[in-house]
Amino acid sequence: MSTRPPTLREKRRYLLVHIDPPGTIIDQKDLHYTISDATTSLWGDVVAAVITSAVVASEGQYFIIRCRRGTEQDLSVALSTITTCCGIPIALRMVAASGTINTLREKIQSLKTPDLKANPPRECTFDKKLFQINQCNGQKIDVIEKGFKNTNRLFLTREDLEEL
Amino acid sequence: MKITDACVYPYPCGDSSVRRMALEAKALGFDRLVAADTPSGESYGVEIYSGILIRETAVKDLASRIKRERNNAAVVSVQAGDNGFNRSVLNHKGVHILRGLHSSDKNAFDHVTAKIAADNRVAIDLDLSPLISGRGYSRQRVMHRYRDILVLERRYEFPITISSHARSILDMRAVREIAGLSSLIGMDTHDVEMAFFGVDIITTPPDPAVKVIL
Repeated sequence: MSTRPPTLREKRRYLLVHIDPPGTIIDQKDLHYTISDATTSLWGDVVAAVITSAVVASEGQYFIIRCRRGTEQDLSVALSTITTCCGIPIALRMVAASGTINTLREKIQSLKTPDLKANPPRECTFDKKLFQINQCNGQKIDVIEKGFKNTNRLFLTREDLEEL
Repeated sequence: MKITDACVYPYPCGDSSVRRMALEAKALGFDRLVAADTPSGESYGVEIYSGILIRETAVKDLASRIKRERNNAAVVSVQAGDNGFNRSVLNHKGVHILRGLHSSDKNAFDHVTAKIAADNRVAIDLDLSPLISGRGYSRQRVMHRYRDILVLERRYEFPITISSHARSILDMRAVREIAGLSSLIGMDTHDVEMAFFGVDIITTPPDPAVKVIL
């Protein structure tokens, strides 16, 4: 099949989204199905078919999502209704929109923070409970309670820990 | 006028500290948060208002509860009930916001309560969490209720506030995303702006009807 000339091709836009909380590992395919579900649930099959969203690339916490030009707003509203992916609580934060993937890849490079996994695991206390520091980025500190029960993630700041 | 999220629940109600929520709110474009059961203050350039939510209270206990909270300079909000309860709440001095109309019965807020809200400058809160996390019929019902409230708002011009009811930083949404979600219930840019400034409207005293010019 020969490629269509540029004037006959579908015009597309690409959205760069960041996944919160940091350190969450999400499969590209799982995210695609989650986005597809959210879009269909909010806008219905007809608009979802027009949007034709697809996850085209990922780099760490950043994902590039494709849609048809002119439907970026509809897709971004649908993205804001995503709260979980495969049972993992997440939030998709839209960073930028562009007509080319390359621009967004450059944007990712400018936004990338150093790998935080290199930090050794440390312990801290908060509200008289023992926690393990999971992520630490500037002022932001994510901790997980130590133990087998109630190992929920808490989102704190450096000031919260220093105060205690 | 400051862009305000009219209700968040920091730790211990939620999983994020109020400072972390303030840090996130700043990144998302907010200037102020109303945080439930948290002392007022400022964190990372974001103003934090103390919020008191009164729920499941009989009307007779409401007056004493509101009087107690009035001295704390907190934003006092009451969970909506049936029509009679809402009318009496809206007539109480010291109530700033009436919340949870999406989960109350369909006659809970009519043109009479709308008029009372406008006269007493009590805001009606639009909780966006059912739009974000709800699916199917439950979300459609909430959208329908909010559209109905907005019809009354256009007629009687009572204040509106928008809140995320976030219990975690993951539940918080950017200003632009909230504007997008609000467009689902028929709010245009001007309506969204006024709703973001709703807390300013209800916390600042109204202009006096008569001005003395010397």
